This record gives sequence, structure tokens and C-alpha cells, in this order.
Amino acid sequence: LGKSQCRAAVTRVEIDVFFNFHVLFVFQGKWKNKERVLVFSSRGINFRTRHLMQDLKTMMPHSKADTKMDRKDKLFVVNEVCEIKNCNKCIFFEAKKNMDLYMWVSNVPHGPSAKFLVQNVHTLAELKMTGNCLKGSRPLLSFDPKFDKEPHYALLKELFTQTFSTPQYHPKSQPFVDHVLTFTIADKRIWFRNYQIIEEDASLVEIGPRFVLNLIKIFQGSFGGPTLYENPHFQSPNMCRRLMRMEKAARQKERQMVKEIRLEKRKEVKEVLTEDVTDDVFVTPAEEKPKEVEHEAPRPSKSKKKKKLKLTELKKRTLLKRKGLR
Amino acid sequence: LPSLSLSFLIQLQEAFSKGLLKPGLNVPLEEPKKAVNNIEGLKMCLAEFKKNLPWVERLDLTNHPAVDVLAKIEGTLNKKQSSGEIDAEDDFQREMYFYRQAQATVLEALPKLKKLQIPTKRPDDYFAEMAKTDQHMQKVRKKLMQKQMAIEKSEKAKKLREQRKFGKKVQVEVLQKRQKAKKAMMTAVKKYQKGMTDKLDFLEGDQEGKKGSTASKSQMSKKGPNAKRKYKDQKFGFGGKKKGSKWNTKESFNDVSGFRAKTAHGKGGKKFNKGGKKNKRPGKETRRKMKARK
Repeated sequence: LGKSQCRAAVTRVEIDVFFNFHVLFVFQGKWKNKERVLVFSSRGINFRTRHLMQDLKTMMPHSKADTKMDRKDKLFVVNEVCEIKNCNKCIFFEAKKNMDLYMWVSNVPHGPSAKFLVQNVHTLAELKMTGNCLKGSRPLLSFDPKFDKEPHYALLKELFTQTFSTPQYHPKSQPFVDHVLTFTIADKRIWFRNYQIIEEDASLVEIGPRFVLNLIKIFQGSFGGPTLYENPHFQSPNMCRRLMRMEKAARQKERQMVKEIRLEKRKEVKEVLTEDVTDDVFVTPAEEKPKEVEHEAPRPSKSKKKKKLKLTELKKRTLLKRKGLR
Repeated sequence: LPSLSLSFLIQLQEAFSKGLLKPGLNVPLEEPKKAVNNIEGLKMCLAEFKKNLPWVERLDLTNHPAVDVLAKIEGTLNKKQSSGEIDAEDDFQREMYFYRQAQATVLEALPKLKKLQIPTKRPDDYFAEMAKTDQHMQKVRKKLMQKQMAIEKSEKAKKLREQRKFGKKVQVEVLQKRQKAKKAMMTAVKKYQKGMTDKLDFLEGDQEGKKGSTASKSQMSKKGPNAKRKYKDQKFGFGGKKKGSKWNTKESFNDVSGFRAKTAHGKGGKKFNKGGKKNKRPGKETRRKMKARK
């Protein structure tokens, strides 16, 4: 946990030290690999997504931010925004229905792009993740061997490598390598984790953020173009919710049907299996009453309210007593 | 039913006559929607897109997770995991899998970085901005401390409860022992009284204890607190002697209650009657009374 101190007032000595180190390590080489990533979102994101975006910007010194994009504009407008900002990669967050978060990762002018559904987001600010790293330090990237087995995963691996790795000698980067990002494939999704390297013997602590990506489609162009790959295991969140609701509805319907069947069974005429001779011994039909025809309307019954007032003797007595009449 | 062409109908008839189709309603199956998987396109795209940068720019590695040392020792090594299938539902296993993957990467990459002279350890006097602020790290530390304290407290409480239980057990045992001893004594005494045994050894073990305790008890009850109490009552109690009252008055002078003749004339001698009979057996009447009282 933080040997370093973030000093508010940097003394002259420290400026010298900092400068010297910077000169020693960073300015030793020229920044050649010009990668710039634009990280921004559409409107309608919630606080967690906003924090996630901020965290990604913290982790990647080669990133730039932009204002929220209006959802009315078509997606290829993003390409123009990237061009204006002179970025060649883009991470775009799209929030729908205040519930679902989609992430686009794209190589902007011509290259491939991929759309993911983001789940299980945990940000840097969570207290359970106790690690810390230098701001803008270069990460090690760790991939699952499964990434090499399928062509679509291989393409995604290249895309992630180019997007997330900090270029060497970038002016905002720190020269030390002290954290590692892992991408693993499990349950047909891509899991992202960020660990801090504490000791040389590879003892790690998680820094965060962490999220799970569910691949939807890979396109040949940036934010458009022909579809190269479609994930057959992907089920849109709408579909998931719909299935759950239908399941519930089916269960209710079944219950209703069972109830109805039971009622029907009770009502139907039951078959007599064994005839008992002594059954109708006590059946004595009543005498026939003469038909009475009422000429006048019946008297209206007393209202229910008055019925309630029929007190028992004891209650009457207590009431009178209370009133002081006894 | 969708509109069937004539040829299709004829085909159906033939199939039915051959016995391939079962009687009943046959619904034509829809082909399941095929997901696009343009392998060639993907490979071409990858070839175009790939940037052949030196490893030092990318710093990426692909590897299996490091061997789980603990599991190996315990012998619970999961065959599934070694082949790469992770159970995503088992949180702990899943996270450990990711952790070990990162570990394997670090172990492989550090020597490479050393060769390229890229530092991985930050020197102690290098002050720079961290991804999480110091304030945040303080909060984290506080939370960890709280957790630890909570655990300690619960441990203490558990121990206390255990102790109390144990103490209670011991107390119960002691009481039971005493009761047993008393019962045994009583039975022995009764046996003797009824004449079943004529040995009096049970008394030895008990008599001394009993007598000593009763004698001392009676002595204590007579003199001990009583004299002290008396004096205090006299000095401070209501009706006792107060500060400014007179002494050596006519009444006090004439009061001879405190006079012991023998002591005054030196004939009483000091009290050394303790060497008398210790086990003075009480008389018949006294013994009868004691028995009746019990």
C-alpha cells in the first residue's frame, strides 16, 4: 500500500530528482508508436459507467476524452469525432434503457471494430480492491491461450493489445512497469482484471477496475461495414428479460389451469361404482306446498348498520355505567 | 400451412408411401439462423490490421496460469482446470485462475524486462502521482483495520464463552462432588447407627473437619464481628457516645461493671485452656438435641 506520497507542494530538490529520473528513463528514447485512444460515451450513462470511463482514462495515459455524443447522430459520426481529435483508436460506451451498457472498441479509420455487452462492472473506487499503481505506468498484458485458437479471438487479441498497451516513451507515461492487465475467456465471455505487482516473486494485489465483456459482433469497418463474426451464444438483454417474464407467465398460466381443472372435476357428475341397495331408504320427499303468489313487495330489511347496534345485556350495562346513569 | 408446390406434394406422397413419413401433421422445420463466421475475412482483416511492433512496445504475453501449488500439495488438483475449462460460477476458483494467469505472465516477463533494462521496481525516493489518491488508500486501510478488529473481537467473545462454559462445568462438578461426599457420609453414619457396621473410621475423616469448623464458627460468631460491631455501635451509632459529652462523671465513676476481681488481684491467670480436650464429646442430651435438629 503506497510507499509513495503525493505531495501538494513539490520542493525544488524533488523537482530536480523527478526531472533527473524522467530524463534518465523517459527522455532516453523518442515516442514512435503514435497510438491515441478516444474514450467517450453517449448520453444516458449512470454513475458506474462514468467512473469506469474515468478509470480507463487514468489507466491509459495515451487516452483522450470527449463530450457525450447525442444518440440522435448515427454511429459513423464517431469516426469523424476521432479524426478531429487525431485519435486512431476508440472506446465508445453506449447506454440503453438505463440498464444495458454496450462498449465499442474500434480502430478508427478503416480497421475492424467490435461491439460488446459489458457486465459486472467494478470501479477503482471500490474499497475491496486494495492495490495501487503509478498513474500512467505501462501495463503488462496477459492473454488466455484460447485467444490464439479461434480467428475471431485472435483479431480481438490484436485489437486489445494495440488499444490498451501504453506506447513506450509516451510523454505522460511513467517508465516503470508495475501492473498487469489480464484478459481471460471463461463461460464464452472475456473477463478483464488489473493487478499490481508487489514483489519480484509475482505476488499480486488487485487494483481494479474489472468488468466482463460479452462479444456481440465484429465488423470489418469502424462502427459499420460488413459483419465478420456474430457470436451465436449471445442473447440480448431484452431477450433475457423477455424469457424470464415468459417463464413467470407460463407458471402462472399453469397454476390457473390446474385450478380450473380441479373445479371442473368437482362439478362433474360422478359415476356411481357400486350401487348400495339401502341408499334410498331414508329418502322421504317432502309434502307438496301450495304455491303462494305474493301480491305485495316484501318489506325492506333493516340496514346492516342498525344490526350492529344490537348490544348484549352486559355491554348495555357497561355502557350505561360509563355514562354514569346507573 | 404455407403454399406447397406440386412437386413438393408429390415428393411428400412418395415419401409417405415408402414409409418415411409418419402419419399426422408434419410441419416443415425452419433452418436455425446461422451466425456469421467469416473465417477468411477475419484472417485477412487480421493480417492487414496487425502492426509488427517489437515486443517492448506491446508488452503482451499469452500463457497458461501458473501451477496451483496449494492444490497440488493438497491433492485437489482439478483436471478440468489444467485443460483450461473454468467454472465461471465458482467465484473463488475463477478469481484464482485469473490471478495465476497474471502470475505466470509476470514470472515470464520480468526477466525479459530486466534484459531490456526496463525498471519494474520504483525507487523509494521517486514521488509521483498514483492512480488512487492517498486519501482513498487511507480509507482502504481503515476498512481493513476494521475488518481485522471485528475478527479479533469475535474471537475474544468466542473464547470468553468457552471459558464460561468450562467454568460452569467445573463448578457443577465440584458441587456434585460435595453432594456425593455428603451422601456417602450420611449413609455411613446411618449404617453405623443401624448397627450394620461397627467401624467408626468414617468419622475420623469427617469429625475433625466438622468439629473444628463448628467450634471455630461458634467462636467467630460470638467474639469476632460482634465485639467490633459493639464498639462501633457504641462510638458512632444512635445512642452511642458522642464527641462533646462529659466523661468521669458521677455515673461513670460509680459504674463498676468493668471490674474483674480475679484480674485485679492477679489471681485469674492467663487463659491457656486450649490444650484441653479437643474432641470434647457433648453430653447425651446435647447429642440428642443435635440429632433432632438435623
